[in-house]
Amino acid sequence: MNNRIPRRTFLRGAGVLLPLPFLNLMAAKGRTKNTETPPPVKRFLTLFKPNGVHPPSWNISGGNEHDFRMSPLMGPFKQHRDDVLLLDNMGDFGFSSHANSTRRFLSGHHSNTKSASIDQLIADQVRGDTLHRSLELTTEGLFPNQIGCSYISYDQHGAPIPRESDPQLIFDRLFRNPLANPQQRTELASVLDRVQEDARSLSRKAGREDRETLEEYMAVVRETEKRLANMRRAKPSIDVAAFTRPGVAANLDEQVESTLDMIELALWTDSTRCITYMLGNSNSRMIFDFLGITEQHHYLSHFFRNFSRTNLESLLKISEWHMKKFDSLLTRLKSRKVGEGCLLDDTVVLYGSGMGHSDNHTVTRIPIVLAGGKNVLKTGRYVRYSENQELGRLHLSLLEMFGINVESFARSKTPLPGLNGSDFTPYREQPFDSWVKVEGDQLTVRGRIRMSDDLDEARIFLIEVDGEKPVRVEVNFRDFHNFNLAYHCGSAVTLKGTGKIEGDKKIITRVTDIQSLFGKKPGTQNG
Amino acid sequence: MFDIHRVGSLELTSHRPVLIMTLICMVWGPSSMVFAADSSVDFQKNVQPLLETYCYECHSGDEPNGDLDLTKFASVADVTRDFQSWESVIEQLQHGSMPPADERQPSERERQSAIQWHQDFINSIEVRPAQFKPRRLSVIEYRNSLQSVFGFSLDVAIIEAEQTVTERSLVVKLLPTDPPGKSGFKNDTHANPLSTVVWDQYNFLIDAAVEQLFSSSRRIELEAMIGPFNLDQFSTAQAKSLLNELVERAWRRPVPNEQMDKIHSRIQGRQGQALVDVVKLEIKTALMSPQFIYRGLLLTGTPGERQPVDEYELAERLSYFVWGDIPDEHLRTLAAAGTLSDQKNLSAELQRLLASPKAHYLTEVFATEWLSLSEIEHITDDVPRMVALQTQSADFMNYLFTEDRPLIEFIDSEVAFINPHTSNMYGRDARQMSKYSRRKGIEREIVSNQKISLVDTKERGGILTMPGILAMNKGPILRGTWMLESILGEELPDPPANVGQVPPNRGGENLSFRQRFGEHRKNPTCGICHNKIDPLGFALQRFDNQGKYIKQTNSSDDTIDTSGQLPSGEIFNNFEELKLILTTSQREAVIRNIVERTMAFALCRQLTIIDRPAVEEITNELKQSNGTWQDLFLAVVNSVPFRETILPELN
Repeated sequence: MNNRIPRRTFLRGAGVLLPLPFLNLMAAKGRTKNTETPPPVKRFLTLFKPNGVHPPSWNISGGNEHDFRMSPLMGPFKQHRDDVLLLDNMGDFGFSSHANSTRRFLSGHHSNTKSASIDQLIADQVRGDTLHRSLELTTEGLFPNQIGCSYISYDQHGAPIPRESDPQLIFDRLFRNPLANPQQRTELASVLDRVQEDARSLSRKAGREDRETLEEYMAVVRETEKRLANMRRAKPSIDVAAFTRPGVAANLDEQVESTLDMIELALWTDSTRCITYMLGNSNSRMIFDFLGITEQHHYLSHFFRNFSRTNLESLLKISEWHMKKFDSLLTRLKSRKVGEGCLLDDTVVLYGSGMGHSDNHTVTRIPIVLAGGKNVLKTGRYVRYSENQELGRLHLSLLEMFGINVESFARSKTPLPGLNGSDFTPYREQPFDSWVKVEGDQLTVRGRIRMSDDLDEARIFLIEVDGEKPVRVEVNFRDFHNFNLAYHCGSAVTLKGTGKIEGDKKIITRVTDIQSLFGKKPGTQNG
Repeated sequence: MFDIHRVGSLELTSHRPVLIMTLICMVWGPSSMVFAADSSVDFQKNVQPLLETYCYECHSGDEPNGDLDLTKFASVADVTRDFQSWESVIEQLQHGSMPPADERQPSERERQSAIQWHQDFINSIEVRPAQFKPRRLSVIEYRNSLQSVFGFSLDVAIIEAEQTVTERSLVVKLLPTDPPGKSGFKNDTHANPLSTVVWDQYNFLIDAAVEQLFSSSRRIELEAMIGPFNLDQFSTAQAKSLLNELVERAWRRPVPNEQMDKIHSRIQGRQGQALVDVVKLEIKTALMSPQFIYRGLLLTGTPGERQPVDEYELAERLSYFVWGDIPDEHLRTLAAAGTLSDQKNLSAELQRLLASPKAHYLTEVFATEWLSLSEIEHITDDVPRMVALQTQSADFMNYLFTEDRPLIEFIDSEVAFINPHTSNMYGRDARQMSKYSRRKGIEREIVSNQKISLVDTKERGGILTMPGILAMNKGPILRGTWMLESILGEELPDPPANVGQVPPNRGGENLSFRQRFGEHRKNPTCGICHNKIDPLGFALQRFDNQGKYIKQTNSSDDTIDTSGQLPSGEIFNNFEELKLILTTSQREAVIRNIVERTMAFALCRQLTIIDRPAVEEITNELKQSNGTWQDLFLAVVNSVPFRETILPELN
């Protein structure tokens, strides 16, 4: 495979072209001097999506491990079907605040407040001699009223790690440290020479106070010259002088694409091996004006309470945009050739949201997608656990993939089975019978509960019964919330309630009881 | 300081026509002081012995009481050197709070003699400007200056959304925060030296600005300076004119020819991209030079002499005072013509600067630092409400500064600035607000303020009872301290470290905090400070921790006690009466504090004894004429310390 990149290959993004340098990394075959087996996986990348999802648009109903249909919201990244592993039934909390669900995203459990998040643990493990230990990135400012909404990465003391939002500053941090860059050093040396001359000539004409000030100034200049000299003596690093700084983004989309450019460059130049990127705060109030939307994302995400067809469509547009950014990221990682493969091969990508049903903040069936890591993950599958799984189990598995073996993480003690293709039969859903019983206006139904596919029916649930039309559950917000119907979405339940029959349609209008066939009870896992 | 009303039959006021004593030509230096023969004998004969007899016992040695070693005031020169400290000593003597009541007291004659010496001493001081010293730009000055030099601001790309906080300025984000200087303001950077950390950040910022200037996103700003820009046709003439303009703006005055010639020679013989590269390097150099980073290095004049500052320096002092920014083209034109120093022009320019939106700097920096308004940020995490509380006070100060309002309206006003997040404190007056409706799909948002007249809620007039101010100072002691320091200009030492908590009510008791606190601080030593603090703070007890007003009821459950007495003797029953006192018998103290703060901010340094006559003169004038904030600013700009300087000797 020819992996010599033509000199003028460009990075696309934000309408700015970044010429690629000819890097030693990209040298032809025969370069590998050491015969050590490289680690199975080298990089970890996390992409966080705010405000949960509209479950029917995201969930895969039915289907099995290898034979499944990707949902409408997965459409934007369906070209990467073979490279992604779709997990279902992750997350085991009934309701959760934005802050807590976000804390759990990389820390396992929201009570895990004294430990580092997994990205930081992995960063320590994989950093090697890269210049930057890790990058923590975002798009949005801080939400002071519930500060946990703004962070997914936490340091070894459990303190939140500040995020960078500006692609230009990210670029500068990576590629424009003046002392690390030979061209910059030359320029800086010229500047230092001239300002010293200026200061000396001023000093000659100056009184005592002036001279004191100028002495202070010159001391700093001399110190800088010394540092330059030290850096010159150090081993030369990659010449990133040919990289062009990204331009100013006109809107959120351009800013994100520009940041993805930076992520791609950073991983490809091996400047860092661990990056987390939040596409927004967990409860993002951003307004997606470039999509023609005028309401805040968070308002729209509460699509049951603030129901209207337009609101829901706006919400779906936003979610679709998030998925497109995930697609953009995967495309980039696959386009970068490394040795015999590509950058994605030895990168594990974690994409998801802290919450499932965005209105109710239920933290079950949260969107979690893994990608890449060809030696540690078996992609191209849909793995569905019959019981709700603690996120901490996934974190344990991820730590293990990077060679970090711990007894437990957060409150989880066993890793998640099945990710690398291993057997997870005990976790598979067992077959069950579905039926419905009617006694006057009392209905009892057993079957898989899901939301209606019809966007106009965003508040309506359906229970699938073999050989019959699905039983409709049309209840008000109180029942929806108190029985946490969203929690059960996609799994088998036994539901009791009162209702009516209209022709061949059975409709439940008040719920009196609901029990999971496989999962834990809802609402007891408040978090 | 408080006026003295009750000291014997001598009517003492703290200001008198200057130059009551014959003045001998004096050469001022910190260690050589020549006075009229009378006063120095007076000190040695009457004042120092008093200190020795009645004060040294406690106020000397390695651990003097209150951290005050009075043996250091052995001569008039010592007094001059540490005048601020000295003044508080005299004040204790005036109020009779020192020596403590249970110690030996000086006789009335001895006391009067010392006080008289002090008064005469003050009156004998002749105003003079300070010795000039260059000063590094503060963070905000740097931010504004950079923006005006290049024509655009360096911003961080971050998506702003309601209820989130962001710092947009790259300068503020990268530069280390300035600590307050001796003056109490951050623009006093005398003790804030350049370091390699700051140097690196300056380097980064200038680099970013220069790159941006030549990028396509700033083409308009570039072409505003050099006409149409085309890389291939970029000429030496264009390059020269760009450099001339930028360097003059950056260094705040026309650049000496020989310097410009040197720069020009370095860019000769290049074209296109090569020319652009070398021009960028020259711009970077000019902005990393001390002439940009420090103020005043290019001052011209006669070394060793007292003189008016040159026209450009005057322009710079004016623009940095009101805008925190470089002088604009109009100011520079007047300076070039040598006419800025004309009274008419100076006054007109001040008005013009105050009328510009850039004058918001006075509110953003001067008022915020003076009144500690950034403390309001800690009241709540609810961003729209927090911003409402902060902008309420800020908009009020901006109104006072820029609409030529009377000084005293600071204490008592009939207008307020409110929005839906603060309107609940304003009773029926809130109805003057125009109807507010949130757009669909917006949960909570920051709203700008509207000006209303106070009719129903007159108690809200002035700075003291704004909800943000009341809420940021929790409890009567913090409130009293804030009022004493920020409004009356008194500096308080730290409370002693070995004082315990105010004890809670014991079983069966139902004492108010005020009653329990009274018990807690009944020691006369506590009274030195708390006699000043407590009356002010407890007067506000009708405002709860959120700043809500608790209406007085006649029921016996209403035990709130807002009465008090100031150390200077005035008695009041409630806050309205205290407010009246502040605008009448304490008016001079309030005004003097305002003048002192404004001068310290305008001069970017701590005030010393030599500024005192100017402070007194301005205070007196403003008090007599019921002056406005604009009058104040003009008086400061016209004062000797502002208009003149003493250039250092050359050696």
